[in-house]
Amino acid sequence: MAPLKSLEAQYGILDSNFQSFCASNGIFTEQEPTSERLKEGITQVLSIIDRQHQPWLNGLQLLEDAQQNKHVLSTGFKGIDKLLEGGLREGQLTELVGPSSSGKTQLCLRVAANVAIQHKGRVIFLDTGNSFSPRRIEHFVRQISGSVFNEKVMSNILCHSTFDIFSMFDVLHQLENSLKSQGHKGDCKARTLIVDSISSLITPILGGSGPQGHALMTSAGFLLKKLAHELNIAVLVTNHMVAGEGGNLKPALGESWKSIPHVRLLLSRDQGNKTCSISILKHPSLASGEVARFVIDD
Amino acid sequence: MEVCRLPLSATQRGKLISAGYTSLSSLSSASASDLARDLKISDGEALEILNVASRSSRSDNAEGSHAIINGGVPGIGKTQLGIQLAVNVQIPPHCGGLGGRAIYIDTEGSFMVERALQVAEACIEDMSEYSRFLRKDLQTFQVGLQSKDILENIYYFRVCSYTEQIALVNYLDKFITEHRDVKIVIIDSITFHFRQDFDDLALRTRVLSGMALKLMKVAKNFSLAVVLLNQVTTKHTEGSFQLGLALGDSWSHSCTNRVILYWNGNERCAYIDKSPSLRSASAPYSVTSRGIRNSTSNYKRVKMM
Repeated sequence: MAPLKSLEAQYGILDSNFQSFCASNGIFTEQEPTSERLKEGITQVLSIIDRQHQPWLNGLQLLEDAQQNKHVLSTGFKGIDKLLEGGLREGQLTELVGPSSSGKTQLCLRVAANVAIQHKGRVIFLDTGNSFSPRRIEHFVRQISGSVFNEKVMSNILCHSTFDIFSMFDVLHQLENSLKSQGHKGDCKARTLIVDSISSLITPILGGSGPQGHALMTSAGFLLKKLAHELNIAVLVTNHMVAGEGGNLKPALGESWKSIPHVRLLLSRDQGNKTCSISILKHPSLASGEVARFVIDD
Repeated sequence: MEVCRLPLSATQRGKLISAGYTSLSSLSSASASDLARDLKISDGEALEILNVASRSSRSDNAEGSHAIINGGVPGIGKTQLGIQLAVNVQIPPHCGGLGGRAIYIDTEGSFMVERALQVAEACIEDMSEYSRFLRKDLQTFQVGLQSKDILENIYYFRVCSYTEQIALVNYLDKFITEHRDVKIVIIDSITFHFRQDFDDLALRTRVLSGMALKLMKVAKNFSLAVVLLNQVTTKHTEGSFQLGLALGDSWSHSCTNRVILYWNGNERCAYIDKSPSLRSASAPYSVTSRGIRNSTSNYKRVKMM
């Protein structure tokens, strides 16, 4: 039964102010029979706080959240929208996987332009390979909205270059803080986060002697899904392909990554053609194997 | 209407077109005073417009922050292209160039300094001839660059193993901070030391993709071009031959642009395989004693679908 004063060195919070507060309520040592009332009061206050931010939701609240907050964003391609029954869903992590030069970056750029114009939302583009092209975005913006050059639309597409996974974590944490505190300011609400490509950041650390690479990959995936759900944004990431069995290509990042994105789409380009095909590898509510075709115009 | 594509203000463009200057060739044959009279602008402004026009008709200056891979079969001229780029980046701004220095990282030992001297001398001759042509009515000026200056501005590194290559790429950041006028980094060839004797393939993938990220960062932070030269291998899939880069698909993902050099009959051609903003096209070129030049056959920009 140590007096509170002696515990001050070990627990910094028990300073003299706190001690005088405890003394005014009759608490002088760490175990006090008269502190039951105080304990009751504290428990009551904590339960009120919990009720404000309940860690769980019931089914009805989930449905309301899905209907009111998690909108579906059209990609701008009728074929892809039809395939995905609307487009990209806010709150979900969508992965685009395809061989080199199959149209992944072009699709990301066009989706960014479409979200900025049609849905009047802010797009955050994390670029790992210097492939963000403002000229191309301008071209798509003109294509979608007619020939009017819209500076406001262009300023709603933010691009940030990251070249290693730790700086990506930094950027995502900063984003989380700034977007949470921003609230919903009219039409500047962030609606989409695009990471092109996340596999370039993960490949240098995956495998090898330790499990750190694996852990970082999984944490990155979970952080992206958390951002998608809490901030009501659609997250789009791109992945490349590596040689698999029998000379076929398979998506990079291995088996553990497969279960992380909500939606996985496979892209391929017909040889010597501008037509691309996209098919569903994995989707929470649609059948896989369906194929749609689209063209990226010059 | 090539004049439309010039980076001029809209009023200047409008004046040019209404005065009848619709193509670049019409501008190249005009003198500054003629232009000033026709457009009713000052001499200085007319000179500016002519500068812009001459700059845009120059090819080859790869500025910006992209990493480019040139892939080609042996003998196609990759090293020649590398040498030409190392020389061209030094063309002074008043002749339409960047006036920067070059870093040449040689992994195979294929850089020939006598050839670089030859290309540099030819470049200087071309520059003085071109400027003389453009500024007929102003006093002729010296290009201000000699061939040995051009050689001095190429920082040459020779790497003999993959550890040296990794160390050098890590060192590039510090080096370029101290030599800020470097505008191009050429690596010839990036995968040479990784193709043979590298047992752990997973380690190879990790090391190469990490190297690619570091090069991207250097390209972005210092606003320079990184050009990687690589070999191609042919893959036989489903009865058709596909050109693929050496070291496979995971490496081919790591660059921003890709240009494939190939033989079209007797002619050398370059084909844009991957680019965020340019459409697929191919163009013929030839390797001459003066360096890389347009092909002597009819220069046509063939669009590949």
